[in-house]
Amino acid sequence: MASIDIDNVRKNYGAVPVLHGVDLTIKDGEFIVLVGPSGCGKSTLLRTVAGLEEVSSGEIRIGGARVNERHPKDRDIAMVFQSYALYPHMNVAENMSYSLRLRRAAKERIASAVSNAAGKLGLEPLLERRPKALSGGQRQRVAMGRAIVRQPKAFLFDEPLSNLDARLREQMRAEIKTLHRDLGATSIYVTHDQIEAMTLADRVVAMHGGIVQQVGSPLELYDRPANLFVASFIGSPAMNLLKGTYDASGAEAGIVLPDGTRIALSGPYALQSGTEVTLGIRPEHVVLSPIDGLPARVSLVEPTGFGIILHLSVHDLPLIAFTLDRTRLQSGPTTAIAFPPEHLHLFDGAGNRVVRAN
Amino acid sequence: MAIADALSTMPGTRRSLRDRVALRLEPYLYTAPALILIAAVMLVPLVLGLSYAFRDIQLLNPFSGGFVGLEHFRTLWGDANFFRALRNTLWWTGASVFLQFALGLILALLLDRPFAGRGLVQALVFLPWAVPTFLTGLNWAWMFNPVIGPLPHWLYALGILDAPNNILSDPSLAMWGPIAANVWWGVPFFAITLLAALQAIPRDLYEAAAIDGAGAFRRFSTITLPFLAPTIAITILLRTVWIANFADLIVVMTNGGPADRTQIVASYIFTQAFKALDFGYASAIAVVLLVLLMIYSMLIVLLRQTLLERG
Repeated sequence: MASIDIDNVRKNYGAVPVLHGVDLTIKDGEFIVLVGPSGCGKSTLLRTVAGLEEVSSGEIRIGGARVNERHPKDRDIAMVFQSYALYPHMNVAENMSYSLRLRRAAKERIASAVSNAAGKLGLEPLLERRPKALSGGQRQRVAMGRAIVRQPKAFLFDEPLSNLDARLREQMRAEIKTLHRDLGATSIYVTHDQIEAMTLADRVVAMHGGIVQQVGSPLELYDRPANLFVASFIGSPAMNLLKGTYDASGAEAGIVLPDGTRIALSGPYALQSGTEVTLGIRPEHVVLSPIDGLPARVSLVEPTGFGIILHLSVHDLPLIAFTLDRTRLQSGPTTAIAFPPEHLHLFDGAGNRVVRAN
Repeated sequence: MAIADALSTMPGTRRSLRDRVALRLEPYLYTAPALILIAAVMLVPLVLGLSYAFRDIQLLNPFSGGFVGLEHFRTLWGDANFFRALRNTLWWTGASVFLQFALGLILALLLDRPFAGRGLVQALVFLPWAVPTFLTGLNWAWMFNPVIGPLPHWLYALGILDAPNNILSDPSLAMWGPIAANVWWGVPFFAITLLAALQAIPRDLYEAAAIDGAGAFRRFSTITLPFLAPTIAITILLRTVWIANFADLIVVMTNGGPADRTQIVASYIFTQAFKALDFGYASAIAVVLLVLLMIYSMLIVLLRQTLLERG
């Protein structure tokens, strides 16, 4: 096991930059999830750590040692691919033992490592099978087994669950988490699925356009998104974002929406009055039918079983609210809403989070 | 079966003889058009050709045409020219297929890597395949001719030849002439098919193997070769049969000479049929070649089957 340091790593494909100076320090045994939309550079970053892509500049250290010039096989890492990348001409046991056989490990050590990994993953009855005789979930397990057998310094996962159906994905997600708890291995996990990011990660790295947008615990990203990208990317249904201007006049600071509606904030922010800002509020924080609220029209009601998603419009601004209250299914064409000040997020013109002045 | 359904839904009717015959014939009637077509265009000429092998057919003898049984095959068994042609065929086919395959594989592996101008190089590499074989044969015959061609002089300069002579007129070297032309002409076939197979191999596998610690040679032997094996088996089968039957280059370049040293079975058949005008004997040789190639094909198909099952 080892720490991984990514130091100002840049990557260009020809003239096209895909990583703009990424800095990231991963502690020994930490589970890091890189999350972002496709094309954000998360897979490229993972592949530079694996050594499958060369960095254009910057330094990558595994266990404190610079690995930029090392071949993938000399970095002592294991990788799980989205396509599993199992060797079709080898059976499960041969697939799992391939790296050890290439390193000419002792026969007994190989046998014990394979049976150990097979035991952890429930693969014992399948050891003689070839990959094509396995289901998707079983192949995924073999790919993980191949990584475990190595006992590498770090595990790299490249969207490992994307090819599985929803139920299997949930199950494997839990297994990966259990496995990480048992092995305590440093892991980097790439996904575009925010649920995987939230549930698996010790720390989430949200990426967009080749730039790290925010690094933090899952709840930190959810509760205090650093910018508009993280605010809108993390959470489903997504955070409501309303444009307005900051108004410090009066007893309480507030936001004035384009139609003149004023929404009260709790306490002053470090902003000039009249600054253009974006106000954010998560759908589950929108209070429905308060004593004195803004009038809102209900345009669509979506029951999810767990709760209800209400599509509203407030003075023609679209807004989404989420509630667990089933009586809302019968809500009439109009309702009222309120924005509790403690749940409001404020972003400045550049899209960065603004904190309270005190 | 429409009639069968109709009959079985009629309760209490006893089937008449005519109905039962119709029922039996029905599937054969449906397949008859295709079967008759196949028989007419494939089987009839084949059987006719085979029948010549058992008849005395000489174009210059109007009284020939009678049935002679196994007479031709007995003659063949004692025909030293035939056995020399058979040995030459093995040599010609083996060397041509091996060199075409080896060079084709190397070319395919080179073309599989991205480099600047790859599209143009690919197009150029595949060009010989488009050249008519007679032109290929003439061209190479001229190139081996020391009066107009450069090859003898180059080979002499490299010390491979003792004197800048035409290898096509040297009995011990003549076979290399058509083989060289054949390799030049046939490499693209292997390069195209192997390149297509190479590009179908998932790149992830190479990356996984690189991380697992496999060097270039191990990646080739554990990933590339097993993936290519079925394609290699089928292309070698096709090319072997093709080249064994392929007399064009030999007829154009050496006409079997000097001293029958480049006579292969296919060109021997050609000589017997169109020079000696003995169609009966030529057909008998052709039958033997057909049987040999069929045995060979069966072996390769079995090999490919086991390869596919293992993969």
